[in-house]
Amino acid sequence: MIPSAMASSTETALESLHHIKSTEPPEWLVPKQELSQAVRAASKLLFSSLKPYCPKSPFDQLLTEGFDVEQIWQQIDLQSQPLLSSLRREVKKFEKHPEEISKLKDGGVGGGEKKKKVLEQIETDNVVNDDEDDDDMDMDEDEDDEEEEDEEGEEEEDEEGEEEEKERGTEEESENEGEEKGGIEDKFLKIKELQEYLEEDEAREFGLKKKKTKAESKKEEEDTEEEGDDDDEEDENEGSEDDDDEAEEEEDELGLFDGNDEEDEDDLENARYEDFFSRKKNKSSKEKAKSRDMLEEDSGSDDEQDVDKRKDGPSKHEKELDKLRSKIEEMEKANLDPKVWTMRGEVTAAQRQKNSALEVDLDFEHNVRPAPVITEEVTASLEDLIKTRISEGLFDDVQKARTSSSKAPREIKELDESKSKKGLAEVYEEEFFQKTDPASALLTFSDELKKEASMLFKKLCLKLDALSHFHFTPKPVVEDMSIQTNVPALAMEEIAPMAVSDAAMLAPEEVFSGKGDIKEEAELTKAERKRRRANKKRKFKAEAAKRMGKKA
Amino acid sequence: MEIETVPSESKPESNPLPPKPKFEPLKAHEMSDGRVQFRKVSVPPHRYSPLKKYWMDIYTPVYEQMKIDIRMNLKARKVELKTRQDTPDISNLQKCADFVQAFMLGFDVPDAIALLRLDELYVESFEIKDVKTLRGEHLSRAIGRLSGKGGKTKFAIENSTKTRIVIADTKIHLLGSFANIKIARDSLCSLILGSPAGKVYSKLRQVSARLAERF
Repeated sequence: MIPSAMASSTETALESLHHIKSTEPPEWLVPKQELSQAVRAASKLLFSSLKPYCPKSPFDQLLTEGFDVEQIWQQIDLQSQPLLSSLRREVKKFEKHPEEISKLKDGGVGGGEKKKKVLEQIETDNVVNDDEDDDDMDMDEDEDDEEEEDEEGEEEEDEEGEEEEKERGTEEESENEGEEKGGIEDKFLKIKELQEYLEEDEAREFGLKKKKTKAESKKEEEDTEEEGDDDDEEDENEGSEDDDDEAEEEEDELGLFDGNDEEDEDDLENARYEDFFSRKKNKSSKEKAKSRDMLEEDSGSDDEQDVDKRKDGPSKHEKELDKLRSKIEEMEKANLDPKVWTMRGEVTAAQRQKNSALEVDLDFEHNVRPAPVITEEVTASLEDLIKTRISEGLFDDVQKARTSSSKAPREIKELDESKSKKGLAEVYEEEFFQKTDPASALLTFSDELKKEASMLFKKLCLKLDALSHFHFTPKPVVEDMSIQTNVPALAMEEIAPMAVSDAAMLAPEEVFSGKGDIKEEAELTKAERKRRRANKKRKFKAEAAKRMGKKA
Repeated sequence: MEIETVPSESKPESNPLPPKPKFEPLKAHEMSDGRVQFRKVSVPPHRYSPLKKYWMDIYTPVYEQMKIDIRMNLKARKVELKTRQDTPDISNLQKCADFVQAFMLGFDVPDAIALLRLDELYVESFEIKDVKTLRGEHLSRAIGRLSGKGGKTKFAIENSTKTRIVIADTKIHLLGSFANIKIARDSLCSLILGSPAGKVYSKLRQVSARLAERF
């Protein structure tokens, strides 16, 4: 690019930056063309200014003409991601080796200046808690950050805002992490304080051990060279750690570290069974681990060497063994304890806790079919069935089961509770007649009723037949064997409807008992008469002879 | 009539015994050496007026059909019966006497007539105290139980067993054939002893059904 053009562009961009800075916040609410143009120019400037610090960026400058919001943002993102990571690395390096910071001549856009600021603060006040200074610094930073935020605009898509936020984020990281992350903390609440209080509490819990180690460490410090290093490291730790809170705590922690380091180093040289398979050791190492973790969180700059050593102390193997041991203990304990009620076989309600059966997924056989879920389809199908049944007339009525009576029902003899109208003689007379002559049907009480009923029915039938002019079809004659006694028809049960006849039931030929061809007196011929007389005479003679024989 | 002396058995002979003599049956008036036979039946005072009322109903069958002379001795308050010459059977007199006796006990004439017509009818009498000793209220209640309301229990027994019953205070008279009398007597005894009428009825029903089935 042409430097003159660049310079002019930079000037315009700067102008636009200032313009953006000066605009009131409400103006950002409405999209304005000139504001967006200004913002684009400003972002371009910033992009190009940051370019030299990220070698990996594919773009020389931010391309804004004809590009969508998303695309512009993507470009910024592409540049800023590696930039952020590199910045982080740089910050860490500076944390470890603060003397290098002074070597820095050119910082980034305000970034170097800020770093310097931070370093100064670190060197000046460490042990003593200067919250106010922190707050002031924080406040300044906050204001700057906020301004930048505003400048970069909350309208549209905050593309630049992201970038600035990221820059701010890096700046924050360059500071001690103890410095706030904006907004949450204030005079009263400090998360760092909270964390350190927790550590202190835990230290109090495991108080004895720490004190011991501290004492040991203090003794040992006087002796070895490592102590000297430790002292340096201590100082560095102190310096690099947070400004906050109790120095004692820090010393304790540091002492703890040192003492432990001492112990660990000794023990590593003389490794024993107890190191690997003793409880006490593990406990203390656990405690160390806890406190260690917390401090690591607090300060980004711990003695890495010490940390490494501590990590080696409870080795992986030991950790595994610890886990195993704990598991074994658990299982043994479980075995010794009385079993859970679910494992006990038959358990009544009194032997288990109240409502404990509700928590367990019980499985038992249901002998009852589950109630059908009533859905619309079910009801529709039922209704269809009902309709078809009604249309067909096919009802499942209960059929009366006929008791197949092979014999006629016995006549229940009713006790007549009134004075009998017949005399005793008549009673016995009837009884006698029944015995001797079965044909003479004596009417019992029920028979009389039957007779009365049949009489009524006959009268009714007569009237009905009169309605149809006596046209009726008689019953079909069913031929079957029946004995006919030669009794006048009147005496028998009346079956003929109308006619009353005196005729006997038997036909003449059935009555007649004789042989041959019967002839009337007038019909006989002379010869036949003579024959008849001759027969008669012969019979008479035979009889007479018989009688004579008797007498004699 | 020929009277043949029976050859004495003390004659031990070698010749065979003579044939048995044949006698024709004695007529009624020849019995007791041709003398007439009497029966006398005393009349209790409570049957006096019924006797007067039904006299002709009693007199006619006795005189006409049984051929027995019958008269009422007013002074002695007795009914006297006497055989006649043409009385066919000596048992007629006894039957008539039984008939009159039955009337005196309290039976109605149509019922008592059965005695004349049928041979195997009997009259049996017994007292309540024979069955169970009851006094005062219990006795009265027992009598009430026997009769039933309006006499329905008595009639029920009569109809089902073909007997006739007369309950005269503490005396009970039964008229009927032997088996029927037995059944009636059992029912009456159970009533005296205290069983309820319903129970007696059910038993009667069973028994009568069984009796009827026999034919």
